[in-house]
Amino acid sequence: MAKAVEIAGVSVRFTTERGTVTALDNINLEIADGGFMVLLGPSGCGKSTLLRVMADLIEPNTGSVKVLGAPPSAARQGRDIGFVFQDSALLPWRTVLENVSLPLEVGGGARRPGRSPRELLEMVGLAGWEGSYPHELSGGMRQRVSIARALVGDPKLLLMDEPFGALDEITRDRLNEELLRIWEQTGMTVVFVTHSIYEATFLGREVLLLTARPGRTRERVTLDLPEPRNAASKETPQFVKHAAYLRKVLETC
Amino acid sequence: MSDIAQRPSQAAFESDDQAADLFRARARRLTMRRRVLPVVTILVLVLIWEAGVRYFEVPNFIAPAPSAVFAALWSRFPMFMENLTPTALQALAGYVIGNLAAVAVATTFVYRPTAEEAFFPLAVMMNTVPTVAKAPILVLLLGNGMEPKVAIAALICFFPTLVNMTRGLRAVSSQHLELMRILSAAEREVFTKLRLKNAMPYLFAALKITAPSAVIGSIVAEWIGSTRGIGALIIEATYNYDSVLLYATIIVGATFSAAFFGVVSLFERHFLKWNDRANQ
Repeated sequence: MAKAVEIAGVSVRFTTERGTVTALDNINLEIADGGFMVLLGPSGCGKSTLLRVMADLIEPNTGSVKVLGAPPSAARQGRDIGFVFQDSALLPWRTVLENVSLPLEVGGGARRPGRSPRELLEMVGLAGWEGSYPHELSGGMRQRVSIARALVGDPKLLLMDEPFGALDEITRDRLNEELLRIWEQTGMTVVFVTHSIYEATFLGREVLLLTARPGRTRERVTLDLPEPRNAASKETPQFVKHAAYLRKVLETC
Repeated sequence: MSDIAQRPSQAAFESDDQAADLFRARARRLTMRRRVLPVVTILVLVLIWEAGVRYFEVPNFIAPAPSAVFAALWSRFPMFMENLTPTALQALAGYVIGNLAAVAVATTFVYRPTAEEAFFPLAVMMNTVPTVAKAPILVLLLGNGMEPKVAIAALICFFPTLVNMTRGLRAVSSQHLELMRILSAAEREVFTKLRLKNAMPYLFAALKITAPSAVIGSIVAEWIGSTRGIGALIIEATYNYDSVLLYATIIVGATFSAAFFGVVSLFERHFLKWNDRANQ
């Protein structure tokens, strides 16, 4: 099977006034095409850094990275990567529709085949909100806009950096279910960063556990749950077992 | 899907016309009060002033009665307008030049930090020289025409806008910059679609501060050897102990200043609707 992401021997170090911090230390990771990989770990374990390495936002000090068989910069320039930020990162002076259309306006996006912003807004359940400004929306709605924006370039790899971390639990659960639906519809690869064990258990086909300081791979876990996953999945014995296992590993991270 | 209301903005509310009317009436009353009260305050103060001048028989050259000032404004209106014109034109020209220069220099600073390190201390030093001290120097340099007045007005506008604009162009969130990089946006696009937009509230704050400052600059510059303009009138009135003329001139200058500020505020409200509502 083709690989969406291949990471070999990647290390990232940051140098500040207080010394050098090793954010990632010798990470090896392969993610299959069409997979759903969750990066889970305590804060400071470098999961966001690893995501940014895949997105060509951070250059690793050592090691090699390939995204869809090419260097990350090529994948980025080819608009194969979509990124959803922690706090939605919408531009406050743009309406919902204008925000979703941003990728079509910059970076030569006009010349690329993309998906229709209106259709995507409908898909994330925001039809009728095109003319609203971000400050008029709830946190959950803003994150939906941000997902629609990430999908406009029709990416093959969707990177999500704790996208639902700031939301209340009910909204988070609902968006988790919708994310799975979108993933199944589009067939893209998703890499999802979280520090919530329940979110990881519910979403992840696979979970990569990372340890903090330095960020190292602790364990890669495959999670089988009855499909389709929905609210009822969380009451199955497998779910409880998986969550308990992840918690146990995390406690020693 | 319940984190989304069914239809934009109003769906979550029951329609209760009576309550809505009461709410709107209350809002209208508060707005009226906010507008009417300052006018009432000023009127009362003017009346007290008039009564005081009459009661204590204050000589005209110490403090004129408001009625005399308004009579002068009325009877000599064309003369005041004739003197306001050069002052206003100098202020406007200086305002435009000073602010454009500040925006250009701020943009340079953001992209060339070495330029900021080299020139910002100089800008600070120039700003610490009082306007009344800069004026004679510029009159010597630029002659006795409009040029030194425009230059003073421009210099007064330059510094606040430079500081604010530099900050606005820089105060871009790191996530927004990452977003632009993910989208492979060109540097020009990052500037026009992110930095410039982000700087607009900062820029308008500076534009509002500098509008009255430009008028002050224009007036102060006229104190040095001018024969026309609001500044020249002020000097003339002071030397002649013509306090009626002095007060009337000040009212003309201040009214223009306030109108200038008001126009800039209107522009701000028009261009920064998103920011206005976001900050409520």
